[in-house]
Amino acid sequence: MVKFLKSNKAVIVLQGRYAGRKAVIVRSFDDGTRDRPYGHCLVAGIKKYPSKVIRKDSAKKTAKKSRVKCFVKLVNYQHLMPTRYTLDVDLKDVVTVDALQTKDKKVAACKATKERFEERFKTGKNRESESFWIRITRLHAREVSLAFLL
Amino acid sequence: MVAAKKTEETHESINNRLALVMKSGKYTLGYKTVLKSLRSSKGKLIIIANNCPPLRKSEIEYYAMLCIVGVHHYNGKLQKQLEAAGTFPPSFLHSFLCRLGLGVICFSKSLKSYIPRIQICIE
Repeated sequence: MVKFLKSNKAVIVLQGRYAGRKAVIVRSFDDGTRDRPYGHCLVAGIKKYPSKVIRKDSAKKTAKKSRVKCFVKLVNYQHLMPTRYTLDVDLKDVVTVDALQTKDKKVAACKATKERFEERFKTGKNRESESFWIRITRLHAREVSLAFLL
Repeated sequence: MVAAKKTEETHESINNRLALVMKSGKYTLGYKTVLKSLRSSKGKLIIIANNCPPLRKSEIEYYAMLCIVGVHHYNGKLQKQLEAAGTFPPSFLHSFLCRLGLGVICFSKSLKSYIPRIQICIE
């Protein structure tokens, strides 16, 4: 009875190239639009997770390992697994439907989200959403995501 | 013996209510529509049958947890459930009267049937 597919919700993408990746809902379109007459949302997700950093890594290596690569995508609700977690990253100004129109804009949006994600990752404020940065070892996205969530 | 009887009794009441809702309430049947109605926060109650595969059951329960919707585990299989509801066999069942406040339970129901497993989402 409560709407849960809102902005800042952490979700897991279930289908497509980014299946198994975690993402954050930036904007949701519950009733769809004319082009997409179904419930869908704009998500910004992790294309390439940051790697594991160990104690003996140099600063240079740490910096390299802590990089996050992002994607921005419009996804059907059906192809998402919602989680009970949220990620408070302000992406509304950066990630817009407009940004998906051309490749340049998309790249720019991805770069901007990358910065914000990396900043979030490094400061690591929110205890709960720390698991957002951990990769799910890919089996079947739906099964694994469920096992992971529970 | 007593325990058996008790479950019988509660079964009866659920079955009665189910039948009522099927006749004059709103419901959808089946996994896909259940998830749809949960996402759009239209569902009010979900009934999951016994023989629902555990992964799917967990998934629905998780969704229900997210949108704070009740889940009822029906102690029986799909056919039994639908028999109880007074319709057999079902292919697709839709009744579009919105039913509220029977003094018993307020349902507008979404039932989902997916032979042979049922998850009913009650709106």
